[in-house]
Amino acid sequence: MNHRPFEDWLLDNQPLTPEQKRDLQSHLRLCTSCSAIAESNLALHTTQMVPPAPGFTDRFKTRLAHRRSEQKWRQIVGTLVLVLGGLGLLYWLAGPVIQEALSSPAEWITTAVGYFLFVLTSLQALGEAGTILVRVVPSFVSPAGLFVILMVVSGFIYLCIVSIWRVNRIPQGV
Amino acid sequence: MSEEMTWVLQAQQGSDEAFTNLVETYQKHVYNLCYRMLGEPESAENAAQETFLRAFQHIHRYDRKRPFATWLLSIAAHYCIDRLRRRKFSMASIDQDEEEGGFELPDADAPNPESEVVHNEQREQMQGLLKRLDSVDRAAIVLRYWNDCSEAEIAEALNLTVSAVKSRLHRARRELAGLWQAETPRSKPERRPHESPAF
Repeated sequence: MNHRPFEDWLLDNQPLTPEQKRDLQSHLRLCTSCSAIAESNLALHTTQMVPPAPGFTDRFKTRLAHRRSEQKWRQIVGTLVLVLGGLGLLYWLAGPVIQEALSSPAEWITTAVGYFLFVLTSLQALGEAGTILVRVVPSFVSPAGLFVILMVVSGFIYLCIVSIWRVNRIPQGV
Repeated sequence: MSEEMTWVLQAQQGSDEAFTNLVETYQKHVYNLCYRMLGEPESAENAAQETFLRAFQHIHRYDRKRPFATWLLSIAAHYCIDRLRRRKFSMASIDQDEEEGGFELPDADAPNPESEVVHNEQREQMQGLLKRLDSVDRAAIVLRYWNDCSEAEIAEALNLTVSAVKSRLHRARRELAGLWQAETPRSKPERRPHESPAF
């Protein structure tokens, strides 16, 4: 038996003209396959919505309160573990250094001053090198080349910004 | 601004009472979706409660340009699909669970025992057919027929394209019809007055 177009009308829930409805009715009297589609469609339309047991909202309120107290406890325990772990790690890493520093303060102060001077002189040297580069580079590179370099650098910065935005974008749905 | 949107706004500002109003409004829709998806009252209750808890926790993420019902049903559908996948992995079949659990659900609008029996039979029969569908197809069918969602809304809720929804609905209806024919060769569904058997 030819089920077209009746099957499509039924499966796609197409709106039908009175004439098409008549044709469909006569086809359904003869065709068990299409009448099964019609019957299951009707069953889908007539099967009622199942409501939850009474008191759903009260049960929700109870669960919400329980979830909140759980989260609060988890936060407290998490913070405690983090703080204690951090302190332990700090003691384990810095303990020997602190002990040494306390036992010979003069040596420790000399080392600290040495490091400070090293960082300061390094920064000064870097600054001078940068100034020289800024003065020298334009004489080697043409304005067009400079423009290209600037474009590449700005493109890279733009890519970074877009990537950060995409990663941090708030998703919809949960 | 609609009353619902006012509640959503208040809930986004931290009002528990406003969110409770939303729970009151949508509990039946969400529970029915979960029940149709999972097939057991207990699992459906847990899933519906979890849906509202998740919605409450993430209400600040809700985009007010979208319908709230679609957003909520999307959370419920994804949660149920996830549960069904986990069940599949743990090799626990729904059939077995249902045999153990049964269907003891309250029917709010049962006018008399006879019609309650008819409705219960129809509900069980439809539930039996639904559980054989793929979980996403099942969600699409429930959203379409019980929640009156449009194809575009279903697509949004299930993260599918509209054409994928159309094809899934088409396939699911065909599958349901085949199962209907195999399971109920002589039965005729209850018809609404002046209604064509097709629509």
